[in-house]
Amino acid sequence: MVDSCITCDVAIVGSGFAGSFIAKELSQNGVKVVILEAGPGVQPNFNAFMEAFYKTSRKVPESPYPPAVRDSNDQFIDPVNVAAGRPSSQTTGASNWQKPEQAYLDQRGSTLPFKSTYERLAGGTSHWMGLTPRLVPNDFLMKTTFGNGQRDFPFPDWPIKYEDLATHIVAHKPPYYERAEAELGVAADVDEQHFANLSFSPNYKYPMPRIPPSLFDQRIGQALSDLSDVDTSFLGMGKPVTALRVRSLPAARNSEPYRNRRACAGNTNCIPICPIQAKYDPTITLNEALNAGAKLKHHHVASEILLENGRVSGINYITYDQEDGRPDGEVRPRRTGNGCLKAKIYVIAANGIETPRLLLMSKNKGQTPNGVANSSDMVGRHLMDHPQYLAWGLLPKPVFPYRGPLVTSAIGDLCDGPFRSQRAAFRISLGNEGWNSLVGGNAQFGSDPNVTTLDFINGMNSSGLNKKDFSQLADNSTLFGADLARTLGSLISRQFRIAFPIEQSPDPNNRVTLSPLLDGLGLPRPQIAYNISEYTRQGFVAAVRMRKVIFKKLGAIDFTEVNITDPSLLKIPIDGENELLTYGGAGHVMGTYRMGIDPKTSVVDSWQRSHDHPNLYLVGSGTFPTVGTANPTLTLSALALRTAEDIVRNLPSQKS
Amino acid sequence: MDHRGEGNAEGAEPLTQAGTLSRRTMVAGTVAATAMAAVLPLAKSAYAQAPDPNTDMLAFLVLSESLTGVDRLTLAPELLGSNPSVDPINIKDTYFEWITEHSAPSTFRKLLQISNDNSASPGNIIAKVKGSDDETKFLARSIVLLWYLGSWYKPDDLKANAVPGRRQLVASQVVPDNRGKAYTQGLVWLIAGAHPMGYSNLQFGYWSRDPHDPNGPPLPLFNPSNT
Repeated sequence: MVDSCITCDVAIVGSGFAGSFIAKELSQNGVKVVILEAGPGVQPNFNAFMEAFYKTSRKVPESPYPPAVRDSNDQFIDPVNVAAGRPSSQTTGASNWQKPEQAYLDQRGSTLPFKSTYERLAGGTSHWMGLTPRLVPNDFLMKTTFGNGQRDFPFPDWPIKYEDLATHIVAHKPPYYERAEAELGVAADVDEQHFANLSFSPNYKYPMPRIPPSLFDQRIGQALSDLSDVDTSFLGMGKPVTALRVRSLPAARNSEPYRNRRACAGNTNCIPICPIQAKYDPTITLNEALNAGAKLKHHHVASEILLENGRVSGINYITYDQEDGRPDGEVRPRRTGNGCLKAKIYVIAANGIETPRLLLMSKNKGQTPNGVANSSDMVGRHLMDHPQYLAWGLLPKPVFPYRGPLVTSAIGDLCDGPFRSQRAAFRISLGNEGWNSLVGGNAQFGSDPNVTTLDFINGMNSSGLNKKDFSQLADNSTLFGADLARTLGSLISRQFRIAFPIEQSPDPNNRVTLSPLLDGLGLPRPQIAYNISEYTRQGFVAAVRMRKVIFKKLGAIDFTEVNITDPSLLKIPIDGENELLTYGGAGHVMGTYRMGIDPKTSVVDSWQRSHDHPNLYLVGSGTFPTVGTANPTLTLSALALRTAEDIVRNLPSQKS
Repeated sequence: MDHRGEGNAEGAEPLTQAGTLSRRTMVAGTVAATAMAAVLPLAKSAYAQAPDPNTDMLAFLVLSESLTGVDRLTLAPELLGSNPSVDPINIKDTYFEWITEHSAPSTFRKLLQISNDNSASPGNIIAKVKGSDDETKFLARSIVLLWYLGSWYKPDDLKANAVPGRRQLVASQVVPDNRGKAYTQGLVWLIAGAHPMGYSNLQFGYWSRDPHDPNGPPLPLFNPSNT
């Protein structure tokens, strides 16, 4: 603790969606806001990020952004030498997911890998897909609707309902979902969003028209327009499913110029980076907060939340420079100082792993040995993702993938029904990026179109495509010239993939704790314990069955392949046989400081205010008690707007 | 409407444009004089030296057109017809230089000689390359991968993995330059009717239409006469 602290009205840790939304709302209301950001600040433009992306041979989600995951010799950088590290998609495989000298997350004791990653830089979630569906009404009411008195049913209800976010008008302002959709700039057609009991304000229109469907969306929509009830009865929808509608997905992606940003040009690169910022990212709201007077302190890593008499009295931080190694050749980051921040109200918006990490490491010289805001012992528990089951194949006719936004449409109608008392729900997301990140099984031989191209030039068959049956040429062809171009053009233009993001049930043993291992600033890194419950596995079973129905209807050749070395390998009995499958991370880090009415079983109330400390708010998808199947960003943004109102309401009674 | 031509705003490098222009003028002059067919035979004494873009570029483009199956006007947009335009991206020079620095001069020369000896027949060029020694054959494969992906796969790595049906990650490197332009010039994307992910010059909504749609931008198709 130093003598002079930075002072303000509201201190925010983290400048991602939730932090930026709250910072903007407050600073535009004349509230003095200071934001601590662990990573680099807002960049003047995306040029450096784009250059890094173009140049790397590993175009993975974190590739445009600092800090580097590998050094100049292509070796992994030990996270003990990184100031503000983060998980990497390159450290979730068999060779290194439990090697903390390569992986930032310490997963040595985990049953299965937690595969989602995140960024730590101004704006936070940069490499998101931009999809913004709402949760559906029953997602808030799992226990009431589907618990049926089951004693071990793991799902609680939320302390709020869908209507609290979707239709209730508070203080003459539009409902929170609508305000979040305005801020994010959501493109969607409300007329096609009426499924799973979604309701909207009368005459509501999304800010922009929908993103038009890709050729693959159109193809699969036709294929699924006529289904046999017998084939789909396993779904347990409680009513016959004889057709499935493909609907454009609401997306924070401009379908026309919006708030001085261009319309989407279909760069097919939402993850990791939209080169023209047609996809919303939180620096847009963050910059408006800064224009209204909020202060951003970048390269400031919050290290402890201080308590006095049951209230938060300050936040300590450490500063550093050079997130990508030091000019003097030293590998360890250079600490440049430390300090403290004092405010009337404190908001922790550091995501589902970094927020519990900060709470748990705040021990106040032993006075809070279990961390801050943790009288319930729920901080860090119930870690959830939307584990994704991926399937891919070859169509009889081209749909020209690698064009348009990565995802334009989805099948959402199967995300809610009576089956939820027994098994996990899923949605079906339709990909526009061919086999890019899948070819050969988890892209274990590289990404496409590179892998298929190499196959036909060098007589290899990593893709599985270099066979007479598919190329109409000899097995393992080596081609040049027009034969090569024609063959690649024909095969690559027929690739497709679908994904099933699956609802994960809350499990207190899926948990973020503190690792004995440290980061480059000497702070304990996150330790993860993670597993997939039987309820969630039954969601995979239904997804596998649904995949078979869809592929049959499409007349597609199934190239879905399981990399049996993948640490996420699950062996699940389906129809008397053991089906092997793997899952991917959705990047949705949720549940680790959940909201609820009862302070014994939850960390925050419905306003995302700590049950334990009246001037502490914890925001972001860590507060979701259950996660449904919708991408969490829109909902956590709506909740942040609701929290901002509570902070404005409570601020006058708080003293610094 | 060429894809690469539309990329001018992002790809232009003002500092090198003077050089590009002079080279363009030179190549254009050569086109007029030789009609692309009769490139001067290489002097015997030149075999010991590294290939030179000033004298060997046309042979390289004829070779590349044959092996990639992609029209030379897509490989080198500045050669457009009788009224040459400017190609500020000029990826062919980047590749020529890269190949010169990363292969044995005699092997690259051998490929250029095959090109010169058979410049009227892409089919003959392919047949000769396929019948060549391993060094020449695998360098040719590296060159095609370079044009298709903007990435360099070492000929030795290709040779080591040229086992029928093998499934293997083969290391590669995006050809480095100051903006990462090699990735953005990969041809396989265009061949598949698409664009490099993260580098599109197309307009909103194009993904709803077939790329062959007469109202959409044309595919930079390969030259069918190459078959």
